Amino acid sequence: MATGFFTDATLCIGCKACEVACKQWNELPSDGYEFTGNSYDNTSQLSGTTWRHVDFVERESIDEEGLTTSWSMLSDVCKHCANAGCLEACPTGAIVRNEYGSVFVQPDICNGCGYCVVSCPFGVIDLIEAVGHGDDAAKYGLATLHDDRLNQRKTAVQATGGVAGKCTLCFDRQRVGMVPACAKACPTESIQFGEIAELRERAKRRVETLQERGIEAQLYGADDIGGGIGTLNAFFLLTDSPEAYNLPVEPVLPSTRQAMGYAAAAVAAVTLATIAWAIFRGDGGSA
Amino acid sequence: MKSYYNRPLLKGPHWGPNVVTYLFLGGIMGGLGLISLLSDDRPEPEMKKLRKTTRYAAFALAAINPPILISHLGRPERFLNMLRIVKFKSPMSLGVWGLVLYSGAAGANALRELAEDGVVPKTLRFLAPSATVPIQALLGAFMAGYTGVLISATAIPLWAAGKRHIPAFSVCSGAASASALATLLSTLQGNERVIPLLERLEMAASALEIATIADFRKRGGVAAAPLFEGRIGRRLRNFTIFGGIVVPFALNAIGGAVKLPKSIDAVRSIAASTLTLVGGYVLRESLIEAGKLSVSDPQLAFRQPS
Repeated sequence: MATGFFTDATLCIGCKACEVACKQWNELPSDGYEFTGNSYDNTSQLSGTTWRHVDFVERESIDEEGLTTSWSMLSDVCKHCANAGCLEACPTGAIVRNEYGSVFVQPDICNGCGYCVVSCPFGVIDLIEAVGHGDDAAKYGLATLHDDRLNQRKTAVQATGGVAGKCTLCFDRQRVGMVPACAKACPTESIQFGEIAELRERAKRRVETLQERGIEAQLYGADDIGGGIGTLNAFFLLTDSPEAYNLPVEPVLPSTRQAMGYAAAAVAAVTLATIAWAIFRGDGGSA
Repeated sequence: MKSYYNRPLLKGPHWGPNVVTYLFLGGIMGGLGLISLLSDDRPEPEMKKLRKTTRYAAFALAAINPPILISHLGRPERFLNMLRIVKFKSPMSLGVWGLVLYSGAAGANALRELAEDGVVPKTLRFLAPSATVPIQALLGAFMAGYTGVLISATAIPLWAAGKRHIPAFSVCSGAASASALATLLSTLQGNERVIPLLERLEMAASALEIATIADFRKRGGVAAAPLFEGRIGRRLRNFTIFGGIVVPFALNAIGGAVKLPKSIDAVRSIAASTLTLVGGYVLRESLIEAGKLSVSDPQLAFRQPS
């Protein structure tokens, strides 16, 4: 049974409970404290150690009543693509599709080559920085922990360092019949977890309801998104164009360019080999 | 134009000088396979010397390149995990297998030369059938080309825009650099009679390379800009286009047209081949660095090239 997420921007209140629940359950280190000035978003992006990220889209408009600001928040996550660029690129077979149809990185197989990072059309997966054996406690937000716990956590972070990381769709929780941590923590059911076909039905009904109420709503990734990627197992309901949420309008599966690349290389190689043959052998061996 | 606070959509490559060196040496290994095939089975002592030189050089590179590749991994001790699977959809996977098989063929060809030179017992020759010569050349073409496919089959806007050009000029650059290395080694060995042949091969490869790069600049549009503008663009112009192609081409043309005194001619060919090698390295370095820069504009990533 394929499972996934349906994340609805019209229900998100920007509380970031999903970000916190994800970090806690998956024991992901802190990314530091950076003030971006971009609305209430100081998380900025998904990364090897940030698997949920709430976008804060502020839209200002001026009418007779003056300046009004409308908000749209959306919790972004790995899309678990039907045809995943990261999975195809992975040379070790560390990235696999599991029994729930999710794209999963086996952390004990990955050797940190970084090819998945440049092969994701959504900019989701990234390498987790390898932690040195010095005192990195402050950097990873572990300074307040008791010594024993601190050493335990540092060991855990070191064990996962140097490899690629992204959302597992809480593989471990699903195995024991639990809902993923972000969906469980979401107070408004903006993040819904379930069986894909059923979620898609629900999403389509939701868009119809919203459109009846005069709200411009569109689904992202519930149907084939094009570019060879297919459907997304984590899809979204948006009230603005995809760019506003930093989502690509026309993503493309990178492996679709390979045939052309090999053909171009072959043409160049054959051309050069022919010229070289003429230079070395065409003169009857005058060297 | 809409964006999310103009934040990058994509993640850039984590690759540094070791990956650049790997790509550069991989191209040379590819070209050496071709020269080794061209000089095979030739009775002239000069050709025999060139054959030995290219085979020993290819074997030396096959020995140093894998450790360079391994050093870039986040978990180098897990390099062998790449050899637990063959994946036709992953150029990285095919490339590792290409490297392993090339090294095997290059090792066999070097072994045959060592047996002939009496360094190892002649009885070991059975380990090196003569079919390994064309096999090394074929795998060499793959070695020089797959790195171009590897980077252009990604989401990075600059690299994706070069899906035809980057693999093609990677092959040309590899052949030119291999000819330059063979010229350099032959000059140092005093094997002057093969140098005109190598220099003509280098000129052909460089001409094709510069034409492909120019065409990429013309057709690549905004996505290709990071490679040709700013600091990276200046470096590419100075060290690859001018210093690595135009100047060596002129020097090689002079060498082919005018009969220079022996010592001056040696200086000329050493200068030309060194410049070509530097240009080849800077080309790969510029590609990787411009790839990092290319993700900073989210507009290039919203609509990705097919």
